[in-house]
Amino acid sequence: MSDVADATTPITSRHDPRYEVVMYRHVGIDGAWTLDYYRGHGGYASARKALTTMTPAQVIDEVKASKLRGRGGAGFPTGVKWSFMPPVDGRQRLLVVNADESEPGSFKDRYIMEDDPHQLIEGIIIGCYAIQATKAFIYIRGEYGLGYRRLVQAVEEARAAGILGKNALGSDVEVDITVHRGAGAYICGEETALMNSLEGLRGNPRLKPPFPAQAGVYGLPTTINNVTTMTSVVHIIERGADWFASMGTEDSKGTKLYQISGTVVRPGVYELPMGATFRELIYDLAGGPKGEAKGFFPGGSSTPPFPWRDEFLDMPMDYGTLANSGSMLGTGGVIVIPKEKDIVDAMYNVVRFYAHESCGKCTPCREGISTWLPKMYQKLLAGLGTREDLDLMEDMVRNTRGTAFCPLADACAMPVQASFKWFRDEYEYLVDHGTPMYTKNDWWEA
Amino acid sequence: MVELETVPPFFADKQELLDEILGRYPEYGRRSAVMPLLREVQHAERYVSEARLAEIGEIVGMHATEVKGVMSFYSEYHGEPVGTYHLQVCSTLSCSLAGSDELYDYLVEKLGIVNGEVDAEGRFSLQKVECLGSCGSGPVIQVNDTYYERVSRSRCDALIEALSRDEVPEPWRARGGDNEGADKADFLMHTVAAGEGETR
Repeated sequence: MSDVADATTPITSRHDPRYEVVMYRHVGIDGAWTLDYYRGHGGYASARKALTTMTPAQVIDEVKASKLRGRGGAGFPTGVKWSFMPPVDGRQRLLVVNADESEPGSFKDRYIMEDDPHQLIEGIIIGCYAIQATKAFIYIRGEYGLGYRRLVQAVEEARAAGILGKNALGSDVEVDITVHRGAGAYICGEETALMNSLEGLRGNPRLKPPFPAQAGVYGLPTTINNVTTMTSVVHIIERGADWFASMGTEDSKGTKLYQISGTVVRPGVYELPMGATFRELIYDLAGGPKGEAKGFFPGGSSTPPFPWRDEFLDMPMDYGTLANSGSMLGTGGVIVIPKEKDIVDAMYNVVRFYAHESCGKCTPCREGISTWLPKMYQKLLAGLGTREDLDLMEDMVRNTRGTAFCPLADACAMPVQASFKWFRDEYEYLVDHGTPMYTKNDWWEA
Repeated sequence: MVELETVPPFFADKQELLDEILGRYPEYGRRSAVMPLLREVQHAERYVSEARLAEIGEIVGMHATEVKGVMSFYSEYHGEPVGTYHLQVCSTLSCSLAGSDELYDYLVEKLGIVNGEVDAEGRFSLQKVECLGSCGSGPVIQVNDTYYERVSRSRCDALIEALSRDEVPEPWRARGGDNEGADKADFLMHTVAAGEGETR
């Protein structure tokens, strides 16, 4: 067992001396998931600092001052979200960690839960203290079996060591954690669907308002945060808000775990200051595209893709820039699309995903996204499409936007719209010729 | 005359486990236990029968139909038994770009079953699933509760052959990031130590 990751440790920006690896410093190290290892490397000092030297209000102020924005995709300021919790009134208050990570192209939370679960627990202790909740749930997606086992083991270890429980870390603060395992449903990453699922209902989204802070899980005041939002808090408390806010761009501070997949040399998770460019991530860290690339999704498959142009490659990866460009930062999961993959085929894959994951609650999503859109793609790919079909599809996604009950339908409609905007020539080629512009159909190497 | 066969309740001799699961949630949130209870049954019996739905319903205070409603919402619970080794092949974009469509076709040929089917011996079943969060290390096959990543043709063959002998190979933990180690690591064929593969 080695403490220091070497060149064969197969993970992240550690090999790039320009960047300090903070949240991923234990990832990829054998045995880092044990309490002994974590405490042996300064673990739980940050939570101790919060519980013994700060008031809950001071913790919230520190997180506000750091300008941390939620890392789940929406980018809502974390400290502000925490301050939405109603005044303490004797009701049970809850913190829920959204570990449902299911947006295609996203896999940053997984390795933290598998390799460094105590870091997440430490963040939860701080978060619970800040919002004065005594109970936390981690909602982890069902498929993450290893992450689930490691988290459960870590919670048990922490309980036995007095880190969790009635007197967390020897203080008079109570914090306990239940790890709740999902069972395979993308929509449960949407916070209101997650709450229903956690309550033992079907994972259909709920109407907002009421927001979780008013009436969340079991109708109780609830705050829901992403895994890496919680782990960011650990370092903000430890090193101070100024340290965090000294990195990044005007509207996006700190470091973020960017993920990159698709056809690149070194796909993976890279921890970078916010505002690093796509070019830096794709070329400097991930080793560049394998073969020629024609586009990329900037932040998971629900974010409108860009064509492979300098103006997009040189764009800083922060919340504001991406929002102004007509796309989104999302989870920061870049997916590189090779030239040889026909865009209609690639987008059918994306559409099929959202069609499969639609919960069926509302009509625009059930009929539009889940039923007719994949059928239209099947028609095109069978060589039976017409130019009128293309207009119809564009019309469909345009009219789906903003009409569905939850963001899932838009998550599908927006990238489809963008694919028409940037790659309409491939759609037209397919309907005019009956065969795709690019026909490569074996992507399995070796 | 119809002979009625009685099935003993699944949790009848598992009071400790049942208490542990129910104890994770507050009393007013008792029905939250429905998912972990479904998982226990799915794991042990490889499907959830009507009798088990009713039993779980009684435990958490839901009608069997409501339990079925919950069960059918998720892709990891099954109403019919899956094979001893349930192969779940991710087919979403990043995996597709790493060859998951070809991997799936290869498994169809090799095993003689398609999506949703179980082979004649009940050993293998195949399910095409959506994103498993292994985008940086595709293609991926989830066998029951374990990920096998960066599955090449030779690894796929080795995996299926091992499972055919009821040997569960240790997954080589391929990850995202720097994959320099990938070339050096062998696909170790150790049988998983007792306990490590256990899951709930």
